[in-house]
Amino acid sequence: MEYEISLLTIMGISIIGALSLNIIVGFCGQISLGHAAFLGMGAYTSAILTKMGVPFAAAVLAGMVVAAIFGILVGFASLRVRHDFLAITTMGVAFLFLGIVRKQEFLGGEMGIAMIPDPGLGKVGYMILVLLLALAVALFSIYLKRSWMGFTFDVVADDEDTATLIGIDVSSYKLIAFAIGTAFAGLAGALYAHHVKFIDPESFNFVESITVLSMVVIGGAGSVWGVIIAAAALSLFPMWFQFIDQYKLLVYGGLLCAIMLFSPDGLSGIFTRSLANIRGRESNASG
Amino acid sequence: MLFVNLCMQGLLQGGIYALIAIGLTLVYGLLRILHVAHAGLYTLGGYIAVIVTNTTGSFSLGLMTSMLAVGLVGMVIYRLIYQPILDKPPFVALIASIGLFIALEEIYRIIFGPYGITFAAVPLQGAVNFAGTYLRECEIAAVLLATLLIAALTLFTKHSRIGIAWRATVTDPEMSQSFGVDVVKVRYLNFFIGSAMAAGAGSMVALMNNLVEPTMGSVPSYKALAIIVLGGLGNVRGTLIAALVIGIAETFGTIYLGDYLDRDSIAFAFLILVLMVKPTGLFAKG
Amino acid sequence: MLRVDNITVVFGGVTAVKDVAFGVKNGELLGLIGPNGAGKTTLMRVITGTVTPVSGSVSLINTSLDRKSSHERIRAGIGLSQQIVHPFRSMTVGENVAYAAGYAKTRNPLRSILSYSRKKEMDKAREILKLLDIEEVAEATPTNLPLGYLKRLEVARALALQPKILLLDEPLAGLNQMEARKLADKLLELNRLGQTILLIEHNLSEVIRICGRIIVIDNGIKIGEGEPQKVMRDPDIRSAYLGEGYNNAAS
Repeated sequence: MEYEISLLTIMGISIIGALSLNIIVGFCGQISLGHAAFLGMGAYTSAILTKMGVPFAAAVLAGMVVAAIFGILVGFASLRVRHDFLAITTMGVAFLFLGIVRKQEFLGGEMGIAMIPDPGLGKVGYMILVLLLALAVALFSIYLKRSWMGFTFDVVADDEDTATLIGIDVSSYKLIAFAIGTAFAGLAGALYAHHVKFIDPESFNFVESITVLSMVVIGGAGSVWGVIIAAAALSLFPMWFQFIDQYKLLVYGGLLCAIMLFSPDGLSGIFTRSLANIRGRESNASG
Repeated sequence: MLFVNLCMQGLLQGGIYALIAIGLTLVYGLLRILHVAHAGLYTLGGYIAVIVTNTTGSFSLGLMTSMLAVGLVGMVIYRLIYQPILDKPPFVALIASIGLFIALEEIYRIIFGPYGITFAAVPLQGAVNFAGTYLRECEIAAVLLATLLIAALTLFTKHSRIGIAWRATVTDPEMSQSFGVDVVKVRYLNFFIGSAMAAGAGSMVALMNNLVEPTMGSVPSYKALAIIVLGGLGNVRGTLIAALVIGIAETFGTIYLGDYLDRDSIAFAFLILVLMVKPTGLFAKG
Repeated sequence: MLRVDNITVVFGGVTAVKDVAFGVKNGELLGLIGPNGAGKTTLMRVITGTVTPVSGSVSLINTSLDRKSSHERIRAGIGLSQQIVHPFRSMTVGENVAYAAGYAKTRNPLRSILSYSRKKEMDKAREILKLLDIEEVAEATPTNLPLGYLKRLEVARALALQPKILLLDEPLAGLNQMEARKLADKLLELNRLGQTILLIEHNLSEVIRICGRIIVIDNGIKIGEGEPQKVMRDPDIRSAYLGEGYNNAAS
């Protein structure tokens, strides 16, 4: 039972992480290859604080704030550079984060931080907390997408120059997307740290960034349901089928590549198209 | 003496980076694709060089086989992965490329084992006194190879017919097409040459470290991206200069900034600084 | 209403616009014409703030726009329809217009996240699309629509902002004669409903037909201003125009 509980907890954390990136990449159209750094910031901040005796909830909140502050800083980069340049800049931010953490004594350096205090909710209680938070982030995402802010993100993702010419303050909206997205990343990171009780730089390396991105892309960037399904599936698969674990990265890599080749809009794209196909066939049949 | 030594090490490192990054920047210049999987070919180059050298006993044969074979693999990758998605938004190719790179590393691990392979007898290990500092023969060979390949590339693009067509295509694909340049052929050539150069770099690094491991391309792949962005994406001369600058910045940075920042993030710190001041890199195209 | 004073623009040493000044009066339909490369689009970009002039100033209803960024200028009351159409391709024609119609909800990000319903704006969009006779494509995505529709969508989106002044950059370009005439009639109708319009156009005959007043620009310099018929009788202007525009008008 314990194993399944842990599995579901990790799944909830993955969903929060993927949805947080989805706000930046899927909603607002800003590519980010360094999302794990923000999970890392939330994880490190909250872990240090709870080790100092700060209550869990306050520490998690602080983790979100720290991640969001750095997120806004990177958001400023997105105002300066676009597309491919932004992709590489965000990747650079992630490497820089790791490079700095590795050398800092108070962050545990290469050794990381161990013995992170337990939030005291019990395994099941913690799982429920994580899943509830995941649900909250999902509901917020769905609301955000349909709100006028989400509408504005659509417009910015579509064509930001034209957005400016119908009176949209594109910079503010981009910064907000980064702030919201990275704050949730901080949340996911803090929850992760207090679940596994041990973090080190490798927990937030480039492959982790790509893993989160692959959840978004495979699910279909922008589609909340697609991203949730992809995040759940990708976080559960390797653990259910232990034998895949050896080939986890091969499967990830292959899937990423294949989805881009055959359906760049991910699972949600496949779904929408097959739905359209079925409808088309039905109307053909009736007509 | 430390200063001279660091400069030498920096130039050596920069030369290796240049060999990797030039292929990357050529692909970007032609197709606007960030070809992350390029570093997977660099690793493959290392493997082939070690295996052929160990079977035949000749490193130069190993080097040549590696460059030729990897060049062909590069063309296959273009055909299978990139060609079908050329008209898609740029991040599609980028993510496909990252996926391919991760998969390649795993394939190497599965085929060649996780711990890497080494030369049976490592050639070119003697030390040479060079202006008061010692360099190993293999390091000199690496610098020579880098210089030779880059010079050959320059001559080729300046003087051969297809080389000129290639340059024209990079500058203006539509225009050159209307002048009868076979754009598809140019793309294949582009991937062949870029990949072969990466294989050359991989072979030399294999020789210097006497080790090829599945993840050997990880750090260079991302660093090469930083370099081509610094160089102004698609600008070959800019890339060359940026590679040398990063090589030197790293060797000095490791000594002077080592307490605050690890070696591999120096390039990125530099990159972010530059992009914030000049969003299109040091040497923007056009 | 809109005042443009002594604007000079230099691109890489070449003077694109030199000391141009004019005003658009409230309720007016003013035509701005000139041969290709005369500096019309540059002037429009100066007004919207995408091009910074070397000297001169722009003001809207006695408020200077000079220190404002592009989106703030639009917010001040400018509706822009660009020469090259830029529909948002990921949404329907109706949503394109509805989004613009919700401009009050998107001014402030906090308000945007608290606003949910799109109903009012969708209704408003239908109204505008109907006004421009493209109501039937409201549910279509712009990607496969003919240019005639996209040109009108561009105008519809600008109109949805309820601008004090409508800035139209060659809305008739690329349309056939009949389509151009129809759209020109629509513009005239809008103007009669009280909409102030600055029309930058290449299609001389339509401009002469619908505009109450025109300004002629050549080589970045204003060479004429006044009633269309009168201005076009000026021999200097005819010679500046002869070669392309005038022939078009004659034909």
